[in-house]
This record gives sequence, C-alpha cells and structure tokens, in this order.
Amino acid sequence: MDIFANLAHGFAVAFSPINLLMCLIGALVGTLVGVLPGIGTIATVAMLLPITFGLPPVGALIMLAGIYYGAQYGGSTTSILVNIPGEATSVVTAIDGHQMAKQGRAGPALAIAAIGSFFAGCVATVLIAILGAPLTKLALAFGPAEYFSLMVLGLIFAVVLAKGSVLKAIAMIVFGLLLSMVGSDIETGASRMAFNIPELADGLGFATVAMGVFGFAEIIRNLDHGAEMNRDLVQQKITGLMPTKKDLLDSTPPILRGTVLGSILGILPGGGAVIASFAAYTLEKKLAKNPSRFGRGAIEGVAGPESANNAAAQTSFIPLLTLGIPPNAVMALMVGAMTIHGIVPGPQVMQKQPDLVWGMIASMWIGNLMLIIINLPLVGIWVRLLRVPYRLMFPSIVIFCAIGIYSVNNAPVDVILAGVFGLVGYWLIKHDFEPAPLLLGMVLGPLMEENLRRALLISRGDWSVFVTRPLSAVLLAVAASLLILTVLPALRAKRDEVFTESEN
Amino acid sequence: MTFIRALAGACAAALASLGAFVAPVEAQTYPTRSITMIVPFAAGGPTDVVARIVTSHMAQTLGQSIIIENVVGAGGTTATTRAARAANDGYTLITGHMGTHAASVPLYPKLAYHPEKDFEPIALLAGTPILILARKDFPPKDLKEFVTYVKANAEKVNAAHAGVGSVSHVSCELLHSILDIKPVGVPFNGTGPAMNALVAGQVDYMCDQIVNAVPQINAGTIKAYAIATPERNPSLPNVPTTAEAGLPKFQAQAWNAIFAPKGTSPAIVASLNAAAVKALDDETVRKRLLELGSVIPSPAERTPESLAALVKGEIAKWTPVLKPAT
Amino acid sequence: MADTMGHSATATRNTKVALGFCLLAIAPQIFELIWSIGTIFGWGTGRGPAAVVTSHATALLADAPSAIFGSFGGGTKKMSSEVLLALIYSYPLFAVAILTLFMTIRSAQDYVGGVVLMALALFALWAGSDLQGMRGFSFGAGTAPRMFGGLLVALSAGIALTGLLTDGPPMAHYSWRGPLFVVAAILFFALSIRSLGLVVTAFSSFMIAATGSHETRWLEAVIVGACLTVGCAILFPYVLGLPMPMYPRFLNQ
Repeated sequence: MDIFANLAHGFAVAFSPINLLMCLIGALVGTLVGVLPGIGTIATVAMLLPITFGLPPVGALIMLAGIYYGAQYGGSTTSILVNIPGEATSVVTAIDGHQMAKQGRAGPALAIAAIGSFFAGCVATVLIAILGAPLTKLALAFGPAEYFSLMVLGLIFAVVLAKGSVLKAIAMIVFGLLLSMVGSDIETGASRMAFNIPELADGLGFATVAMGVFGFAEIIRNLDHGAEMNRDLVQQKITGLMPTKKDLLDSTPPILRGTVLGSILGILPGGGAVIASFAAYTLEKKLAKNPSRFGRGAIEGVAGPESANNAAAQTSFIPLLTLGIPPNAVMALMVGAMTIHGIVPGPQVMQKQPDLVWGMIASMWIGNLMLIIINLPLVGIWVRLLRVPYRLMFPSIVIFCAIGIYSVNNAPVDVILAGVFGLVGYWLIKHDFEPAPLLLGMVLGPLMEENLRRALLISRGDWSVFVTRPLSAVLLAVAASLLILTVLPALRAKRDEVFTESEN
Repeated sequence: MTFIRALAGACAAALASLGAFVAPVEAQTYPTRSITMIVPFAAGGPTDVVARIVTSHMAQTLGQSIIIENVVGAGGTTATTRAARAANDGYTLITGHMGTHAASVPLYPKLAYHPEKDFEPIALLAGTPILILARKDFPPKDLKEFVTYVKANAEKVNAAHAGVGSVSHVSCELLHSILDIKPVGVPFNGTGPAMNALVAGQVDYMCDQIVNAVPQINAGTIKAYAIATPERNPSLPNVPTTAEAGLPKFQAQAWNAIFAPKGTSPAIVASLNAAAVKALDDETVRKRLLELGSVIPSPAERTPESLAALVKGEIAKWTPVLKPAT
Repeated sequence: MADTMGHSATATRNTKVALGFCLLAIAPQIFELIWSIGTIFGWGTGRGPAAVVTSHATALLADAPSAIFGSFGGGTKKMSSEVLLALIYSYPLFAVAILTLFMTIRSAQDYVGGVVLMALALFALWAGSDLQGMRGFSFGAGTAPRMFGGLLVALSAGIALTGLLTDGPPMAHYSWRGPLFVVAAILFFALSIRSLGLVVTAFSSFMIAATGSHETRWLEAVIVGACLTVGCAILFPYVLGLPMPMYPRFLNQ
C-alpha cells in the first residue's frame, strides 16, 4: 500500500496552488510549442530553463514536464491540419490525420488524438507509479546490440506503413539513412558529406527536413494547377467537430493497443517514443480487416500512434526517475534544471526526493486532464482555421515555418536547406515516393549506425552478437517475419495491379 | 636594487589602483545594454549550469542582464568560432572550457580559431574534478589493481566516452597515454547514455566529471577508483586522489572560464573580471558550485593572466596526448 | 494524375530523357561553376570560374579515362576529387543516359524517379569517398555512408527497372510558379532575417510567397500579411522570447 501513500503524498504536492499553476503554464506552453511548426520542445525547455531558476524545484520540473508532454498533444494538430509534423513522433499522425482533414474530418481526427493521448497519459502515469522501479531493468537490458536490432525493426515498421510500392519505401528509408550520415562522425569526429559548410557540421536537423519534405512540399504541390478544386471541396466538406459513436468504437481498441506499445517502448532511452508511434501504426494496419484504408484517412491510424506517443512520452520519465539518467535531450535539460537547484538525480532520487518524484508523477495526471480540457474546445478553432482561404493560408504557413526553422539554431542556412528539401519533397510527391519512411530513416539512422558500431566494438567485430543475445535475436526475428509478411502480399498486389491496369 | 624594485612595486600598485579607480567608472558606462554569454553546450549541461550560476550574480554586479545563448555543435567549436568572430565590444562573451579552449587545438586540425590568439581571457570560474569510474562488478578493487588489470587486459577492456572531444574522451586518452595502452574506446552520444551503459555493465570503465557520478557512486551502481585532483573532494570524501592511490601523473580537471573576443578593451576585461571575482566570493554562488562538486579557484587563479597561463599550459598538456589519436 | 503523354511518342521522349540525364550527370560541375561566378565579385571563397571549367573538363575528358585504363595497369596513385566525381558520378549517369536511348520506358514516373535517386546515391558515394573505411573490426567514418550509398544505388536501379518492366503512370506535370515564388520567399527570409529584422522580412516574404498563387487578391494579402507580421512580432520575440532582431539593423544605429 506504499504506492497509495506515495501517490496521495504526490497529489498533495501537486495540488498546491503554485504547482497547479506551473502545471497549467507548462501544458499551455507545450500546446503552443507543439502547434507552432519548427519550434521544438528541446528549444523551448532550453529557453525556459533560466526562468525556472527563481522557482521552487518541484514547480520548475512540473512546468518543464508539462511542456514536454503538452507538446505531444500540440504536435498532432499541425500534422493533421496542414501536414507538418512538428516532432518526429507525429510524423505518422500526419499520414492518416491529414487525409482525414482533407475529407473534412479534421474535427474527429483532432478530438480522437486528444482523447487517445489523454487515456494513454493516464494509464502510463499509473504505470510509472506502480511499475517504475521494475521496468527500469528493461532500460538496462538494452545494450548496443539490442538497440541496433530495435532500430532495424523500427525501419521495417516504416516499410509497412508505406501505402505504395515496398521497393520505393525501402529506397526512401535508405535515402533517409544517407541524409542522417551528414555531419560529424561520432566515433572519429570526421566531417562527413558536409562540404565544409559549418551549419552542416552537426548534420541536418529533423525540423529542417520535416518542414521541407512535408510542409513546403505540400504547399508547393497545392499551388499546382488543378489543385484548387480539391481544396475548395475540403472547405465545403467539413462536417461534425466531434467523433461519431462509430469513430469512438473504431478507435477504442487502437487506443488500448497503442497505450500498451507506447508504455513499453517509451522506457527505452533514445528513439523509443518515435518507434512507438510507428509500431502502433504498423500494428493497426496489420490487424485491420481492410489495410488499404490506411493512408487514406483511417481513424485507427490516428488513434493508435497518438496514444502510443503520449504513453511513451510519460514512461520515458522512468529512467530519469529511477536511475537518474536522462534518456533524451529534453530530460537532460530537466536534469540541468534539477542541478541548478542543487538536486543531482541519481538512483536514490525516489527515496531522497519523494516530493519531487511523486509530485511530478501526480502532476502528469493533472496535466493530462488539463490538456484534454484545453484541447477539446480548441478543436473547433483549429477546424475553423481550415476555412481560411488557401491563398491566405499558404503564405502564412511559409512564414511560420521559416521562423520556426530559423529559431532552432538561429541559422539562416537551415531555412535555405528547408527550402531545398521543399523542392526535393515536391519531386518525391511527383514520383510517388512517400516522405514518412525518409524521415524515420533520418531519425533512426544515427542511432542505428552508432549502436551497430558500438556493438561491433564491444564484440571485437563479431557479427554474431546480434543473434546470440536473446533479446536482440527476438527483435531481429520479429523484423524479418514482418518484412516477409509485408513483401509477399505486396508482390501479389503488384501483380494484381498490373492485371487491373492492363484490363483498362 | 631593492630601491628600484620598491619603486617599480609602488608604480605598479599606483597603476593598479588607478585601474581599479577607472574600472568602476567604465563599468557604469560599459554595460549599457544586455550582454550575450555564449555557452558552447546544451542548456543543463555542466558548463551551462556553471555559467548560469556565475553570470546570474555577475549580472547584478554589472547592472545589466546577461543573456545565455546555448550554441551547440562540433564539440563546442561552432560556438567558439562564432565568439571569436564576434565584435570585441564586451557585449559578446563565451564560457569556454577545457575542450573548446585547449583540447580542440590538437583535436581539430582545421580549427577556425586559436584559444590564445583570438581571445582575451577574463576569469576562471570553476574546475570540475574528473574521476576514474568502473562498472560495479569490474574485478579490480582499487586503482593499483585497476592499472595492472587494464594493462594486462588492454585487448579486452572497453572504455566508454561521451563522444570525440568530450571531457570524458580526452581525459581517458590522457590516462591511456600515461599507462601506455590503447584499449577500445566506445563512443556514446553524451554523458547520459555513457553512464547508462556503465550502470548496465555494458562497458568496463570511463573517466567522467564528478557532477553526474556522485549519486551513482553513492547508490553503489558504479564504483570510483580515484579522483584526478590534488585534494579529495568534499562530496566524495572516501574516494582517494590519484596521488594517494599511486598514479600521481594522472591529473585532470574540466575547467570553465569566461573569454571575450581578442581586442576587447582592458577596462572592460577588468570590470568583467571584477564582477566574476565578486560572484565567486558570494556565499550562495559558492554553495551552489560546491554542491556540483566543483573546485572554486583561489584568488590568485582568478586573474586574466593566470587564466592565460592555464590555457597555455593546458594546450601544451593535451597536444601530445591527443595528436596521435586523430 | 493528368495523362498527357501517350505511348506513341516514346522515341522522341527517350532522347529528351537521355539528354536530361546527361545534364544531370554534370549538374554538380555546373553548380560549382555558377557558384564560382560569385568569386569574381568577391563573394565567398573558392576557385574562379576559369579554374573550375578547366579542372572539371580535364577530369572528365582526360584524367578519368586514363585513370580507368591506368587501373588495369595496376597504377594506384591518388586521384583528385574532380576525377573521382567524374568516375563515381558522371560516368555511370552517362552510361544510364546512353542505355535509355535503347529502352522502352513503360512508366516514366518510376524510371526517371529511380535514375534521379540513383544520381543522388552516386553523389553521396562521391561525397563520402574521402572518408576512412574499415579499420580492422572497427567501422571507419566512411563505412556506413558507403554501405547505404551502395544499397541505395541498387534499390534505385531496381525502381528504374520496374519502370521499364511494368506499366505505370507517366511523368507528372510540374508547375513553375508555385515552387519558384515559395522558394524565393524562403530564400529571401533566410538572407534578410539577420540584417532586416523580423518585421520587414516576414512581411516581404509573405508577399513574395503570395505571388506564387494566381488566386491572390492583393489588397487582402497586404492586410493579412500586415496582421500576420504584427502577430509574429508579438508572439516570437516577446511571448516565446526567441532571440531575433525586430527591425532593420540600420535603424538601430
């Protein structure tokens, strides 16, 4: 019953007026940051860090945590409305979410994203409270070999989520992997494919490429002749704001499954949350009776990944709270916030700082509640935004994106690169290549390469580690079977397609 | 002779007092707007925390806000290059560290700046001791055993580090050059993942700054063999110094210091130095730095001249260690 | 997809496609030449146009062929980056362009897509050609880029092959107005945000981007652009505290 006592203590801390206010500010700022394209969580938390100097440590961390998971809610908004994923975790949401918006169902898509996130957030919070300590073992069981295999699995997910040719999807992943190689090599520090451009020394930013191939490319494509008709149609088609009973029924199982997947994968530091959303999408597509609906506005394709990424955002706090090791850049900033207050988190942080840990866990639940209260009414406003004529909307999106990308590093070169990637993305659309696998390849590429090299360094060049370590072997086996399951029907479908076309 | 020396001393004292008299006048006129402090690492990292603690006090002294700008990339050299090219009007400063202003010289042959030629040293802020850490079930019990074990098993052991050019990388290179071994170095993307791997037992040992290590050592998830400073650290009273444990040659500290672009006027340097020195004498600043395990420089170490000497000495120290590594 | 091209015009189209590939094969060289023109006016650093032309021309026409024949003789002298560019990037694409002349393209979308992607992969292979490869059991900096570059060459060849073997959509229609003005707006933003500040830059970029659509009504665009600029000026520097200049630099001094 310790847990109930601890949770009660946590709620007592979190319900103090100042902490409630901090939680609200965090949720609001997080939503804003998530909605604005380009401006990422890392940059915002970094900017707000100095403000937390003057706050009590618990309040400061509650606020920073609120920004982190609040951005997960907000991030889905731009993905759905304008096809611009602000974070790597909302790339998948853009696939079906934006299609729903094009069919006039932006309201249900946004609402289901919020509801799924809320449910997942609540469950994951309970999970942190009850199973935080034992789950830590999972994070420690993952060595370089396991991570490499996990990344391979993640890339296979990207193949599965492609709606067109499997070959093209794989090519896009590899293209993404190549793009991720640009910049300094982690092991030797050598500059790779950077052409002596200082801004490229640390590689291409996710925001830069995502804004380019998703945001700018979409705008350029929409300006094509003949595209106006479709757009006007969208504006007339906008129907109900809230999901129907059928939507809710359809979404319930994906939300449950997404929550489970996200909760587990979120614990793994580095890439866990991204893979969680892709994994959830893949799972839904594989379980669906009619997988061809995916990529064409299936509500399950929004509900599953959105639940998964929010669950993962919550459980990614586990390594921080139980081991004192930050699993990602945002958490590293939170550790910075703690050290500024003289708390250096470590394995004993739960015993030594019960106020902080349990207060934060309780605040996550409150924060999720606040977020759904903030977000559901906002759905109406967002959908109304879609009624703005496109001739006024697109220059605004261009400006917002440009400012967002510029603000990441204060580097004009990043904005130019995003423009170049906009053209690349336009070209990709014209040749029927999908940008989502490219982005996943780009996000997972460095993790994959680093862990492959690390694993081989530790094993002294022995490739068998990937199959002799049980966890890694299981992951690779899953990846292999998934690939076979995907490629076989795709080959058959390709034949069918050929037949149907020759009949025409 | 003694007379001349006394006269020279008196002149120097007079000049110094004149300078001290001029400095506050300058200080009133000099910071007329906010100052940008470039921190070459991500917010929340050890350098950033030190910079924020000290500059928040300096801002009070100077009467202008100091805005911290975190510019990350290429082991901090991106930011340092930008600072070297900034206007030398005293409104752009940088909190450099051992990596950006010493180890970068041998590490990056195409470095776009030189720590000595392109910067005016202002003041040393803090030193962060470096520890030799190992996974908790690593066989050696103390530093002597560690040295023999690592030398005997140089082919088998793995040393973790947080990326090329990081403090953990260069300090381990120093250790390896002293022991004359070349074990496999496993790079991680930052201290967090490296520490995770050490706690999980995936790698054998690493050299890291005290900040992140103290709670892990206290919790028994990793062990520490020695601290590479002349004195023991109050936050880890049980960890012997390298001298006590039998490896006196291994001395390493990650230091943080403020620099201004070359050509910044001496009056501005003096007023910034005075503000930094005042901050280091402040009780709350000291308390916070000590909580981080930092070593606060003695008054003699806080002058621009001693910082210049430190930079010179550090470059000389790291160049032979790191040159063959790249 | 607008089906504008029939299958009858294959022969003439193939020549066009092949010519396009030839142009693609020397695109990096042309890019460097355009870039080098800037050095005449003192912008940027690098070689002058004359030096660029001669070095690439000798690399393409003389050095690279001799390097190929030299390699049969077992000569292993270090090649310059121009020669490598010719060998790794230009020659394979010339070969593809020649092959194109003799092929029936059944899906131009796939075929051209595959070949252009292959060009990107070859370019990446060239860009990574100076990097160190394997050192014993440990990966060098260049191992992974080469691995993935090679893989992408193979995959894109596969895509191009499907374009030859199976029927599919022809080339899609590209329009120029949208891309041109949107990219111009982005470029203008990037080049002037530092010196002109947020207010001027955001408004000008808005108007440039708006030019990209023929539906734009000017008065409306000016009003919305102005409102948006004010909104951005409040939101980004003040509410979010992003460090960016507000007004042109010359007004501050």
